[in-house]
Amino acid sequence: MQRSPKTMRAGAWIAALTLMGLAGAAAAQDLSILERMQAEDKAPPKSFEPTPPPSDPRDFTGVWEVSRFAKTQGDTASTPEPEFTAMGLAEVKRLADSEAGGRVVADAGTQCFPHGMPRLTFSPYPIRFTYMPGKIVMLHEVNHNVRIVHMDRSAPPPGTPLTFLGYTVGHWEGNTLVTVTDHMNDQTRIEANVPRGPKLKVTERWTKAKNILGTTDLAVTVTAEDVDFLAKPWVRRLYFAYRSDVERDIPSEGLVEYSCEENNRNAPGADHIVTAK
Amino acid sequence: MSMKSPLIALALAFAVSPVAALAAPAPWPGLPAAQRPAPGTPNLVGVWAMPKRITALKTLDGKAPPLLPAARAVYRANIKALKADPNSDPVAKCWMQGVPRLLYAPYPVLIAQEKDRINFVHEVNHTFRVVSLTRPLPKDADGLDPLWLGYSAGHWQGKTLVIDSAGFNDKSWLDYSGLPHSDKLRVREEYRLAGADTIQGRVTITDPETFSRPWTTAFTLVRKPGYELKESVCSRDRKM
Repeated sequence: MQRSPKTMRAGAWIAALTLMGLAGAAAAQDLSILERMQAEDKAPPKSFEPTPPPSDPRDFTGVWEVSRFAKTQGDTASTPEPEFTAMGLAEVKRLADSEAGGRVVADAGTQCFPHGMPRLTFSPYPIRFTYMPGKIVMLHEVNHNVRIVHMDRSAPPPGTPLTFLGYTVGHWEGNTLVTVTDHMNDQTRIEANVPRGPKLKVTERWTKAKNILGTTDLAVTVTAEDVDFLAKPWVRRLYFAYRSDVERDIPSEGLVEYSCEENNRNAPGADHIVTAK
Repeated sequence: MSMKSPLIALALAFAVSPVAALAAPAPWPGLPAAQRPAPGTPNLVGVWAMPKRITALKTLDGKAPPLLPAARAVYRANIKALKADPNSDPVAKCWMQGVPRLLYAPYPVLIAQEKDRINFVHEVNHTFRVVSLTRPLPKDADGLDPLWLGYSAGHWQGKTLVIDSAGFNDKSWLDYSGLPHSDKLRVREEYRLAGADTIQGRVTITDPETFSRPWTTAFTLVRKPGYELKESVCSRDRKM
């Protein structure tokens, strides 16, 4: 992965979370990133620019990024853990055991493939929306993932192949963009540590929502339904902050070129297994 | 309904009721009002593809690009390597195509247009470019992190969309034949509608370390109505 200011920042964020004890202090090894993060913290905030997003409630153009902080009441801290079926739990155990034995089973993103759904929506990288007749296109910085929401269809066309990101149809319910995704291949996961079966269906409800600071977020409720792996649908609510500062300060309209393939230093082998290199 | 019917209907409406004819359909369908381009802006929205494959770029008069001697040697070496092993092509490593090669990839491109920017989504390995129409090229583009797709800035020059790019790395090829470039590359793309369903384009290459002078090549894009972009994924190790 090419090291860019943006990927560095995401790295700093991960390091910060690590230090906060979410994953244990032992993992905080990259002091250069830590030092960078501390320097960022000391520097005056240069790019905060509370430009509001477009007033049209259905206009999601601009740059959005998963909010780092719980700014909205009833926020992400309460996200429940997924509840697995016996089959789902067996797969979780297989992945965990393999990892404990030093053989990490890579998911799609680790192999520079599209991240799958809803894993892509959970990714802490900026996104843009753009609109055209019958389609809404979502551009993700992370590994240049592209999602096309087919607003002009109510179901995937016959013969739709299974792909990493599946096939997404969408419609408006009031000012909420509702998307339904299925037809995903078997190489993706719901989240990094949440595997899935072949019948996964993902529903997202995207809408603008005021947060407790009075600014407007793009809120999304993600529902993953998987009758084979999940005992009940897993529902997660996330908030994307409007990042006019990122759009202004970062070239390419806020989305840094992300070249996973150029330098994937820990690429898995053909058996999908990553071993320490 | 035949293709001609709407035209006939329009002609009839115009003849019978000029007011009805003036009530044109809403421009820029699907696009939020605040993002609509100014009236009269050419509409490039849709999915496009080259009608014929171009593997080796030529100048407008059909000649080979004006390579400097050292670059000519690199080009010859690239051609030889490619013949011996197709995997010597940078894109065989799933690296990004670069500009302008991305345009010449044998895959469609989706163009989504906004007032302040233009989005190119290439089917090949889901590669996109978001080009501002309001902000200039960074002055220090050659000093920024070199990119596969460079830094780009666009503007409308009359009815022509002009995009200038700089700040490239030197690892990509300019075309499928192995034409090299340096990190001093600058690219100007020009897109102009010729009728509703054809774009006549030009690419001007300036790279004083590779070519003896700037040179221009041409391309054509035609609409692919109703085409839905597929998920195309490059894999070094496996066939998808």
